[in-house]
Amino acid sequence: MLAYVIRRCFVGVIMLIVMSLVTFVLFFASPVDPARYACGKNCSPELREQTRKSLGYDKPVVVQWTNFLKGVVQGRDYPDDPELRAAAPELVTHCPAPCFGYSVVNTKTVNELMKEAFPVSLSISIAALVLWLFFGVLFGVIAAVRRGTLIDRGIVAVSLVLYAFPAFFIGLFLLKFIAIKWQWVEVPVYSPIAEAGVGAWMTSLLLPAVTLAVLYMAGYVRMTRAFVLESMSEDYVRTARAKGLKSGRVLFKHSMRAALTPLVTLVGLDFAGLMGGAIITETVFNYNGLGKLAFDANTTNDLPTIIGLVLLLGTFVIVANIIVDVLYAVIDPRVRVG
Amino acid sequence: MSSYLSVRDLKVHFPTVDGIVKATDGLSFDLEKGRTLGIVGESGSGKSVSSSAILGLHRKTSAQVSGEILLDGTDLLKLSDEQMRRRRGKDVAMIFQDPLSAMHPYYTVGNQIGEAYRVHHNVSKKAARARAIEMLDRVGIPQPDRRVDDYPHQFSGGMRQRAMIAMGLINNPSLLIADEPTTALDVTVQAQILDLLQDLQKEFESAVIIITHDLGVIAEVADEVLVMYAGRAVEVGTCKEILTHPEMPYTWGLLSSVPDVSGDTNARLIPIPGNPPSLLTPPSGCAFHPRCPHRDKVEGDLCVTTLPELAPGTRTETHLKRCHLTNPDAVYEREVLPEIAPDLVEEER
Amino acid sequence: MFTYRKRVLAATAAIALAGGLAACGGSDSSSDGKAGGGPTSSATGGTLNYLIFAPIEHVDPQRIYVGRDITNFSRTVYRQLVTFPISTDPKVSNTPVADLATDTGTSSDGGKVWSFTVKDGVKWEDGQPITCEDFKYGASRVFATDVITGGPNYLLSYLDIPTDSKTGLPAYDGPYKGDGQDLFDKAITCDGNTITYNFNKPWPDFPLAIAALHMMDPYRQDKDNGDKSNFQIFSNGPYKLDGAWSKNKGATLVRNDNYDPKTDDPENIRRALPDSIVFNIGQTTETIYDQLIADTGDAQTAVTSQRVPAPYFNQIEGAVADRATLEASPYVDYLVPNFRKMSDPKVREALKVATNAQAWIDAGGGEKAFAPAESIVNPAVVGYQDNPAFSGPQEGDPAAAKKLLEEAGVQMPYPLTFTYPSTETADKQAAALKETWDAAGFDTTLDGLGDTYYDVIQKPTKDSDVIWGGWGSDWPSAITVTPPLFDSRPNLTENSDGQDYGAYKSDAFNKLVDQAANATSLEDQTAALQQADIQLGQDVAYIPLEIAQFYFLHGSKVTNFTTTPASSSFPDLGAIGVES
Repeated sequence: MLAYVIRRCFVGVIMLIVMSLVTFVLFFASPVDPARYACGKNCSPELREQTRKSLGYDKPVVVQWTNFLKGVVQGRDYPDDPELRAAAPELVTHCPAPCFGYSVVNTKTVNELMKEAFPVSLSISIAALVLWLFFGVLFGVIAAVRRGTLIDRGIVAVSLVLYAFPAFFIGLFLLKFIAIKWQWVEVPVYSPIAEAGVGAWMTSLLLPAVTLAVLYMAGYVRMTRAFVLESMSEDYVRTARAKGLKSGRVLFKHSMRAALTPLVTLVGLDFAGLMGGAIITETVFNYNGLGKLAFDANTTNDLPTIIGLVLLLGTFVIVANIIVDVLYAVIDPRVRVG
Repeated sequence: MSSYLSVRDLKVHFPTVDGIVKATDGLSFDLEKGRTLGIVGESGSGKSVSSSAILGLHRKTSAQVSGEILLDGTDLLKLSDEQMRRRRGKDVAMIFQDPLSAMHPYYTVGNQIGEAYRVHHNVSKKAARARAIEMLDRVGIPQPDRRVDDYPHQFSGGMRQRAMIAMGLINNPSLLIADEPTTALDVTVQAQILDLLQDLQKEFESAVIIITHDLGVIAEVADEVLVMYAGRAVEVGTCKEILTHPEMPYTWGLLSSVPDVSGDTNARLIPIPGNPPSLLTPPSGCAFHPRCPHRDKVEGDLCVTTLPELAPGTRTETHLKRCHLTNPDAVYEREVLPEIAPDLVEEER
Repeated sequence: MFTYRKRVLAATAAIALAGGLAACGGSDSSSDGKAGGGPTSSATGGTLNYLIFAPIEHVDPQRIYVGRDITNFSRTVYRQLVTFPISTDPKVSNTPVADLATDTGTSSDGGKVWSFTVKDGVKWEDGQPITCEDFKYGASRVFATDVITGGPNYLLSYLDIPTDSKTGLPAYDGPYKGDGQDLFDKAITCDGNTITYNFNKPWPDFPLAIAALHMMDPYRQDKDNGDKSNFQIFSNGPYKLDGAWSKNKGATLVRNDNYDPKTDDPENIRRALPDSIVFNIGQTTETIYDQLIADTGDAQTAVTSQRVPAPYFNQIEGAVADRATLEASPYVDYLVPNFRKMSDPKVREALKVATNAQAWIDAGGGEKAFAPAESIVNPAVVGYQDNPAFSGPQEGDPAAAKKLLEEAGVQMPYPLTFTYPSTETADKQAAALKETWDAAGFDTTLDGLGDTYYDVIQKPTKDSDVIWGGWGSDWPSAITVTPPLFDSRPNLTENSDGQDYGAYKSDAFNKLVDQAANATSLEDQTAALQQADIQLGQDVAYIPLEIAQFYFLHGSKVTNFTTTPASSSFPDLGAIGVES
């Protein structure tokens, strides 16, 4: 198992290196000129050339990419201008290894930016995960157990309707009515757990987490329902009933254990995706997480931040995959031995 | 005084959007303790559905069960869900076919066997485990104290079936239903399992129902035999009666399609032509008539219009058949036997 | 789902652009009355909330280049030599008044030399006096073009410093590396409190330029961390930063104890009514307007630079409408024909005649979103006049246009590719234009682009026939409008059309630009620029579409709500207060 994990990690690192190269190539293949953006209005060709140089975009893509990789290993100085370093060292920002770059737009290292945004996304994602997993599985199981009844049909219908709503609609709706119009809660402002305490932290996450949870929950209700129904017709569930087990024990020990196994994969990947993918929700609620950072980086052609995020989110997905595989082995003894 | 198990007019109907599926339609039989009833029939004839009904495994939302199932004088169909649950696995136990899918892949064999014990006995996990090891030993699993912690996929097919039997018998049930207990096994293991079942039956004095499509199994273990077709009993009798003097063409068909009832090497395999009938819209009259090669020996269109009664045939009061044929023995000896066991016919001559 | 998200993102990005594309300008001249609504009061105290969606890119004075931000910071933290006063009358608001300088400056040598004297008693937030050297240092930062990027760079071409033939940039490269410092020290000199700027050509509108932009602001050398100072505010105005500026969240401004209103002209420049001003960045336009319409909590004391989104128009009614203001923006949206492809003046004329600007306006939300334009120059600019080529209603006359096309003898239908930045609204507007164009004999292909827009239209090889553009003046003079957009000499290079997207090239026009650039008086300059605009009209170098309207809502406890030409028609923080 350990050897397997190590092998997977190794493959993951290679994948990340390739991803960084692809991102570099894609960025420079686009007709968008980051130097034009940074240089601003009334920018002469000479100025633009100089801006490109100071951003480091004048070098060939492969050189920029290897410099980037070197920075990850050794750290880097920004701007990487020996003349400036000699004349005014206090203007140069040192970005220690592993350095994922320096965002000119934010005048911060990408590491700092991600470090600031990470807890926000992590908080939202965890809160959303708890909500959607709990309610998604709960309603899914209820629907499966009461299949064919009005309750089942109601749950399925509601989840279908919710599934059809886009994230920004749910987010704006919650914000507009719950927070602004009816004032049941305050307009949420992200409160770090260290500064505001657990209570305020959780309150601040309520609306964004509900927004995401509603979206994901809809899918999980339907999947849980299907998986539980499927497992309820399994032979071993019939065996369990034939033993005289109480229906609750049949459901929770025998039926759900098998039904929820495929959910583990989905949960792992959805959670990893959410870490950087809650773009709409984070934008609507003005939560400066990784998703909003990605959105802003994209609108401002902020290559270093884009690269850093691609790698960070790629790492999440790779790690989530490995964790899911390991979890699978823990859950399913057949995988463990075979 | 009725028998230990007495099933009367058992009906199991499944309402569907297309109509009612009558999986079991008026089944009656009796079984004494220490005796073994073999129920035979093709898939879909209602064998498993009927036995599931005895265990009360049908969900009320999907099946309508009626009739009487008297176990030691108590009508199981009149019990509450909870009362039935308490008896399930304790008084009435079931051994399922294909133990790989019938055992939970995520739990150890010992856990699953012990669970069957713990649900009816207020004992610790440790005690249940000890009991599970004891049972595994009893069913002939080598090194049971080690194998108890194995998962089902780590057992061979025969061992899994033994483990299933251990699970079924752990509470000394007075009625054991074995649903195709040997189907997936090779012939030598099959024989071992059947021997084991018989030994255990003697030991526990249980009543046993063996459900199978294999008359070979019946010949080996059954005292009485019930042949089912389209949800109904079509022939009932002792093992000997059914195997030596079958009176119903469907039973003949079953015999023809079994290779070695008598060890006859010249026997020909003749499958029953056609397909099992739809239970949603069963054929009129005798359900077997569309596939019956002997319909022309019955006057008029009786087979098509009238459902024959399950009535004593030509030999004994206990040998019942559901057929309009008036001279089944003659037809069997003249037309069927030479086909399926020419040597036997030679010998008799 | 995915395409839907993308569309939403594109729309939000477009809104962000609208707030930040062009720099300072004036307001609609037609607004003689009080621009605003709500109570009037000069009571001080309270907290004013300023709601902004997109992050402010720079708060470093030498790098700020967005009209809204220029004035917001002028009124609060960054005083200037001269500045524009609070007035809704463009004549007043477009005339610089003394701020940190004792007067509005004196020029000599035909406008090539300008001198200002720094007032006594003006201080930085740490109590130290603002000196002539601080001004000089501030100006020097503009030359560090590899560090201080994105800001206005006029000084590079005006200040009397030779050009480095290798880079094509001035031989002075700013205070950090220090090459050519002696050249700079000669170009800007300090004599006591008097600072003198020496230019290589006349700059008659220099006071307008430095009132409208922060490029000449003083900067304290010991506070300078180059690029790291991008989000740093070292104040000399009535407010100072409380804590740090956060790019994604904004910051709170509180009173600056070292600011002495006696050195200022509070009534005309900085009334500084609220005790604190919160810049709240990041809420979406929808959230901002949900709160403003509900008028609850902090929204009661809030103003915003986000325009009311069209879907919210019908919610601005009844009592809510009393808190709404509609003011022309200092921007003009226009079309340019690509002269490389539409070289026949008759065809361009036909395009102009067929263009239904009114349909474009209607499709974009009507009069609350856009007003008609009769020149590429905004009416708030000094010396504005309607361009005769575009006077009167522009509703498109396909029949007349068809005749022109026939006269031109071109094959019809004439293929026409219209390139524009695509949003949901812009797509509708483009379709509205296509209607009359096609009726006139053009065969229009709509070419809506995403993020790549400006990069594509600057390429000389583009296959567009008509291109959308939007512009606002940097200071209220047409010299920051037509020359940067149509002078072929700085714009057209081998690889780029610069801002002359249509590759317009006219010796007659360029001559008028030179005349304006070398004019020694504002009057001469204005006359030349008026002539230049007429020339552009005759050549159909552009077709004006509309002037975006600023439709704003503010909270009920906001007092003196004012938008001025000085504040680019955004809420003017110099005037606005809150009820406590």
